[in-house]
Amino acid sequence: MNDSKPASTDAAGALAEIQRRQAQVIDAVLVPGWYWWVVAVAMVAIGAAADTKRPVVLAVAIPVAVLVIAGLTVGMIVGAYRRVQVHSRTLLGGRGAIAIVGLDWLVVGVGLGTAFGLRAAGSRIPGTIGTTAGAVVLVIAGPAVMRYLRGLMLSQRAGGTAWSWRRQSAGSISDPEPGPAE
Amino acid sequence: MTARFDELIHAPTRLAIVSLLAAAQWADFKFLRDELSLSDSALSKQLSTLEAAGYVHIRKGFVGKRPRTSARLTTAGRRAFEGHVAALQKLVARPMLIVPEPAGRGSGQGDRGTPPRAD
Repeated sequence: MNDSKPASTDAAGALAEIQRRQAQVIDAVLVPGWYWWVVAVAMVAIGAAADTKRPVVLAVAIPVAVLVIAGLTVGMIVGAYRRVQVHSRTLLGGRGAIAIVGLDWLVVGVGLGTAFGLRAAGSRIPGTIGTTAGAVVLVIAGPAVMRYLRGLMLSQRAGGTAWSWRRQSAGSISDPEPGPAE
Repeated sequence: MTARFDELIHAPTRLAIVSLLAAAQWADFKFLRDELSLSDSALSKQLSTLEAAGYVHIRKGFVGKRPRTSARLTTAGRRAFEGHVAALQKLVARPMLIVPEPAGRGSGQGDRGTPPRAD
C-alpha cells in the first residue's frame, strides 16, 4: 500500500475512478433502451387488438401483451434488486419520483387522449393510432427520463457533492499539508 | 464533513469497492466481482480487510439452496469514504503547492507553496 498522500493529479484520478465506479452501480439499475421498444410494441398490439373487436383476438393478444409488459418489468426490477440495491430515496428523491410518474401520465394521457379524440371523430382505428402515439412518446421520453435520473443519481450519490469541488472553498483538513513529490 | 485522507480506502482495489458500495444500499458479491473484474479470492480478501476496519458489513444468506453473499458500507465506512472524497477534492482544488526551486537560486527559505514569480 502506498502510504503517502497523492499529488493533486493522483487525487483527480482517484475522484474520476470514484465517479466511474458509482456510475457503474447507477447504470446497473437503470432500464436499458430496448425495454422501451418492447413495451411500445406490446402497447400497439393491445390497441390494434382492441380495434379488431374480435373476441378471439382480444382474448389472446391483450393478455399476452400485458403479460409481456408485466413479466419484463417485474423481471427487470427483481434482477436489478438481486444484483445491487441503490439508495433510491436518497439518490432519486422527490424529483426522480415526479419524473417517473410524469412519464407514466404523459404516455397514458397522450395515448388515451388521442384514442378518445379519434373515436369521437369517427376514426375506425382509434386504438391503434392512440397507442402508437403513446408508444412514440414512450420510446422518446423513456430514455430521456433515464438520462435525467442517471444525472440526478450521479449528483446525489455519496461523495457526489463531489463534483462541486471546484466551488469548494478552503476549509479544514485533518491531515498535514502534502510534502514534496517523492 | 471533515476531510480526512484514508489510507485504507485509497488503495486502488479498495477504492473501487468502496466507491461501488457507496452508491448502493447493498451489493451482491457476484455483482462486485464482475464489475471489478476480480477473482473470488481477491474480492474476499479486500472485503475482509474492509470488514476488519469496520467499514463494510458482509451478509451471508441463502436464496433457496444457493448461498448468497452481499456487502454494504457501514455508517463508519460511509463517513470515512465521504471524508476521503472531501480530502481528495481539497487536494485537487488546492492551487500549485509545490514549486521546484531553480538550481542555484534563492536562499532555500521555504518558497514552497508560493506561486511562481512572473519575472
